[in-house]
Amino acid sequence: MKIDVTFIWTAFVHLLSAIPTTLLITAVSVTAGFIIGLIGAVVRIYKVPVLSQIATAYVTFIRGTPMLTHLLLIYFGLPVIVDAVSAALGLGFKSSSIPMIGFAFISFSITAGAYMSEVIRSGLLAVNRGQLEAAYSIGMTTPQALRRIVLPQALAVSLPNLSNSVIGMLHGSTLAFTVSVVDINAKAQIVASTNWKFFEAYLAAAAIFWGLTLLIERLTALLEKRINLYNRGGVA
Amino acid sequence: MIKLTNISKSFGRNPVLKSIDLTVNKGEVVVILGPSGSGKTTLLRCVNYLEKPSGGEIAIGDFRMNAEHAAKKDIHALRQKTAMVFQQYNLFKHKTAIENVMEGLVIVKKIPKDEARKRSAALLEKVGLAGKLDAYPSQLSGGQQQRVGIARALALEPEVILFDEPTSALDPELVGEVLEVIRKIAKEGITMIVVTHEMGFARDVANHVVFMDGGVIVEEGPPAELFNHPREERTKQFLKRITPELNYSI
Repeated sequence: MKIDVTFIWTAFVHLLSAIPTTLLITAVSVTAGFIIGLIGAVVRIYKVPVLSQIATAYVTFIRGTPMLTHLLLIYFGLPVIVDAVSAALGLGFKSSSIPMIGFAFISFSITAGAYMSEVIRSGLLAVNRGQLEAAYSIGMTTPQALRRIVLPQALAVSLPNLSNSVIGMLHGSTLAFTVSVVDINAKAQIVASTNWKFFEAYLAAAAIFWGLTLLIERLTALLEKRINLYNRGGVA
Repeated sequence: MIKLTNISKSFGRNPVLKSIDLTVNKGEVVVILGPSGSGKTTLLRCVNYLEKPSGGEIAIGDFRMNAEHAAKKDIHALRQKTAMVFQQYNLFKHKTAIENVMEGLVIVKKIPKDEARKRSAALLEKVGLAGKLDAYPSQLSGGQQQRVGIARALALEPEVILFDEPTSALDPELVGEVLEVIRKIAKEGITMIVVTHEMGFARDVANHVVFMDGGVIVEEGPPAELFNHPREERTKQFLKRITPELNYSI
């Protein structure tokens, strides 16, 4: 077998059109996952009754099952629920009108939320209890102390691991092809299906993923430098 | 005036405060002495509810609250009337010196930023840090950090400032600069409760000295009396061991 170098390029150019889809899935799942994770982590750290148990169960179940399984459960399960609810309320809404990418958004957000909740929780644990006490001592309420004092420090600590989660979701977004969403990887398969040059096509896909990952790494490094300014020691 | 009545506190089955009564008059500097484990820090932390007392009553001016069944609103009100200087400084690590001082003014007291900045800068100047407004805590020495901590407490104009061993974590040569600042603000008539091991400071600055051991107040009185003519045997023992000549730390 000979490698068709020119086809790698051809495939590469074709794959570019799928980048927005991949980035969109990643961005949505990471953003929603971050919010879910933040709430989950805070609720667990401060042992909010009921909610913390729900959050714990959510994290163990999601982390204990594959991302592909989440997608399939949502894909096959959600329409049943949506149609039942819609019928019961007489809304006339059909699950078939949900776009395929919607299932990817929902399921990957749930996946990302569980992993990010653990990342943010570790960041919260890294913030010294004295910081919260100092915030209380100047008369802050718990929400004020969390928002102004604890979370900014916790997120700064979590940043490297959060970027890991983003990269994980970027690569995980390839699973969306299972529900017929055409991301970069899926596009590679389609492009190659006419001439069977799969290796070349996937090589091009790999190059694009690597490039996107490098971009995320660079952005994280920049952000880290800005956010962690205060950690640069001077005297003491 | 601050009045603690019948304050008790247990950690699990272990009682650390046994029905403490303490009155602090306005403008007074009260120093609490005692061996470690005597409950002095716990008592101080009960005053602003960083520790929840198991029972008793806390009163500051006209405000009073049942310490055992405190509503969130009461705890919040209590904390707005007090400020604390911590042993480990506990400056907000992600904020500069001036931002640390401004934080309570802007977020809690809702004072406009410009005004808060002006006041904070003046306070930092007062504690001798005019040149360090924009330094992060990690760029300051322990003594400088503690002075920012004092400015942060002063900014809130609380009814009382609680000092929890403010010099215990400092290098010996930095202790002086912090004590000097505390001495200076004591002269301005700010009410303070100070837990410390600095006997010289207690002797010079305190109006009233409290000696605690085993979760109770063993003896209290004016410093001249308590240091020179202690009545209780336990106080004598303690003072003999912590004479200034032998006051070293490892």
